[in-house]
Amino acid sequence: MNQDSPPVAAMQSIQPNSVGISLNACIKCNICVSYCPVSEVTDSFPGPKYAAPQSERFREIGYPYFQDAAGDNPSPPGRGRVPDASVDYCSGCRVCNEVCPTGVRIAEINARARARIVAAEGLSLRNRLLGRSDLLGRVGSVAPALANALLHHPLSRRLAAVLFGVAERAPLPRWHNRTFSRWLKRTRSRRLRSERKVVYFHGCATQHYEPFVGMAAVLVLEHLGYEVVVPPQSCCGLPLLSNGEFSAAETYHRRNVAQFADYIQAGYPILGASTSCTLTLKEEAPELLDLEGDEGTQALKRNTWDIFEWLRERENQGQLPAGLGPLNNGQEPFILPYHAPCQLRAHRIGKPALDLLALIPGIDLRESHARCCGIAGTYGLKSEKYQIAMDVGAELFDFVAAQGNTSDPAVQGAVSFTACDSETCRWQLEHGAGLPSRHPIELLAASYGLYDLQARQPLNEN
Amino acid sequence: MTDLLIIGAGLTGLFAACTAARAGLNVRVIAQGAGTTHWHAGTIDLLGYLPDGRQPVANWMQALGRLPPAHPYRLLGAASIANALDAFQQLAAAAGLPYERAAASIDSPGPSAPSQPIDREDDPSGHFTDIAPGRNGQLISPVGAARPVFLAPHAQLAASLEDERPLLIIGFNGMTDFYPALIAENLRRQGRPARSALLPLSRLTNRRDHNTIQLARLLDQPAAQEMLIEMVSDAAATGERIGLPAVLGLKTHTRLLAKLHQAGSAPDRRKTPPGSPLQPPFSLFEIPTLPPSVPGMRLDASLRAQLTRLRVRVEIGMKVCGVRTAGRRIEWIETESGSRPLRHTARNYLLATGGILGGGIRGDRCGRVRETVFDLPLTAPQTRSQWLRPIFLDKRGHPVFQGGVPVDTRFRPLDRDGAPVYDNLWAAGSVLAHTDPIRERSREGIAIATGFAAAHSVANGQ
Repeated sequence: MNQDSPPVAAMQSIQPNSVGISLNACIKCNICVSYCPVSEVTDSFPGPKYAAPQSERFREIGYPYFQDAAGDNPSPPGRGRVPDASVDYCSGCRVCNEVCPTGVRIAEINARARARIVAAEGLSLRNRLLGRSDLLGRVGSVAPALANALLHHPLSRRLAAVLFGVAERAPLPRWHNRTFSRWLKRTRSRRLRSERKVVYFHGCATQHYEPFVGMAAVLVLEHLGYEVVVPPQSCCGLPLLSNGEFSAAETYHRRNVAQFADYIQAGYPILGASTSCTLTLKEEAPELLDLEGDEGTQALKRNTWDIFEWLRERENQGQLPAGLGPLNNGQEPFILPYHAPCQLRAHRIGKPALDLLALIPGIDLRESHARCCGIAGTYGLKSEKYQIAMDVGAELFDFVAAQGNTSDPAVQGAVSFTACDSETCRWQLEHGAGLPSRHPIELLAASYGLYDLQARQPLNEN
Repeated sequence: MTDLLIIGAGLTGLFAACTAARAGLNVRVIAQGAGTTHWHAGTIDLLGYLPDGRQPVANWMQALGRLPPAHPYRLLGAASIANALDAFQQLAAAAGLPYERAAASIDSPGPSAPSQPIDREDDPSGHFTDIAPGRNGQLISPVGAARPVFLAPHAQLAASLEDERPLLIIGFNGMTDFYPALIAENLRRQGRPARSALLPLSRLTNRRDHNTIQLARLLDQPAAQEMLIEMVSDAAATGERIGLPAVLGLKTHTRLLAKLHQAGSAPDRRKTPPGSPLQPPFSLFEIPTLPPSVPGMRLDASLRAQLTRLRVRVEIGMKVCGVRTAGRRIEWIETESGSRPLRHTARNYLLATGGILGGGIRGDRCGRVRETVFDLPLTAPQTRSQWLRPIFLDKRGHPVFQGGVPVDTRFRPLDRDGAPVYDNLWAAGSVLAHTDPIRERSREGIAIATGFAAAHSVANGQ
């Protein structure tokens, strides 16, 4: 490797069944236990080491989604042989994977164990619904105002808590009055046409709840001179994967593989602003669903980018246009607490948004070292897990509060926004810290003078 | 551009990062997982045993001449090592986790003048400065044996075996992996008056089973702290030194320690026989535990906090998968990510990946022993039959653990001909050759002294 040679591009940890095999690398050092934010605040989860590598060794191998040399074992495990229910309290934040010095895929082992429980014991209606963010989004988008009134009415939240176990105070999003696709269609004549093209994966949240994040992404990409192609697409399947519904997730994933195949063939990169969606396309779906050997899955994996990962490449090659302006008019620095969500850290691409936001004049970035905001997708929405999620997030909420503490002489101004790359994390951050939260792409778009950060809409648009 | 990219986030990497950043370099740290600081006892062991492994080293400065000529300490010399330790002590004190000479308590033995470490920094007489330079202290190990230590955090100072007061070793009924009766018995075999006691965990918590971190976090809470102080005061006899497992809080450790010392230094009239002078009822110390090690976590957290202040980013979860070299320079390295390798470019690179335990060196089934990032030449035996001596607990240790990366006096890795392999690569810590840090009890000393020296070599070469 130390010759004057091209880099070794092969990623050696990606092998068939790499998740299952990785448990053999566990040396029981307990570093994961010392970092796990969930087991710190609740006794319901025994900690990553116990729940994953230690228990997995004794679990019945075979069903489902674990192939061995003998192939699939089609029979579900008998009663009493399913994984212990405590594994369901893993939030899937992947902090354990991040800190593991020997590369054990702890969170994925837990996700597979949960899938075995679901396969053997079925799934509650709530988890079935929460897993279908795509469906929920589409239903609500038919009549967003009505859906919001119904969903967010205190009485319905009470009912949802009693009947389904959706936490009454959990931060649920609001349907936007028009979807991202409808905005694209409406502004079609104004969209940039160019030889240079990128594909945008919007995900369910941008499509139905936060189309303005997609708008900001499109504006920035067009500002760089790229035409943004948005083909029909499915949910990435992550909510299903984290609720243990693997077969439905596989259907979604295979649909995406087919839908993007031609664009990949044509050499367009696939960019996403939702870090959890892009992580699923890159790694979670291939690993959890045992599709690492699937050609289409591999192609999608290799061509998927977090939007800031891709923008950082442009910056490194000197292709990022100048003209970034300050985000506030005053003389004071714009203090911005930034939290890199755990799902972004799981990409292992560093913190590209932090690299790029640092280019904005007058910005005073404060990097959060909190492990997790707690929400972990749909985890913190569940009644029995809401408080756990809030306790996990306390570390982040305290960090944000400390940045705006005006009694501290080191603080020079008020904090008006926080920034975070993942939608559910932003909702949790707003809920816990009480400050509006923005996607870094919104900040970049605003800095280029393309976007209104306060109103969350493109500038110069009727 | 990054001046120095450090690979490895253990004590070596983090301390070198602080050193280089304070010297004005632009530094970044990447690592595959969290550092092995979480396995440390939290003390700074300089040199406990010579390679023959026979007698503990009483004074490491006087023992340096008996180390092999290529040993990292011989490359450095006593003055450089002492400088590095001074810098470490300053840094640790600034981070709120002061370290002191473990040998200091020899000056104040006996029940009439018990050592009260917390008061030392206020001691105006400064009589601790006259301890012989290089003299090791002897602290109590988790099995009650003597542990040669040079610097210790305040919480461990009173564990000195040079102090002759009777010992009470206290554990918790329900805490795993800590056995006070065993420790006390071993101490008695060494001729020291020692007894043991078990405190009921049920008075602190409803949980039945506790690991070290859970207990430390529990003891961060004021109510649990009060209860602990009450239980310890009740168990202690006048004039005893009390050893507790190292779980005395994480975030509020300093406060708890101060409270305990205060309780310990208040004369207890109930236990003092009438007529005799009032004696402080007890002094108190922590005994390190099996991992996860709370004193190691405190050290890690202190270093990380200092790095945040120095605006050094530490990115974990990054495994090197490729290296690009041109002649005698490293152009860039690449780490695995969810999709494509991530490139890191810097002017200089510091290898601080650790030895076999930390993952910097790996042996395969065929007997090949490799340095895992740059595939540097190693001094380790490349035949499996030569890795180990026939006797597991051989006093001289095993050849495979003594192998490592040979370096010059500026800490640049050398090739077989003794010339630097690259002009911009440096190495420090347990990855180095001609030392067996675990066996020598020199792990933290090697980390601090070589990390400091390598960082200065880089800074001076800029």
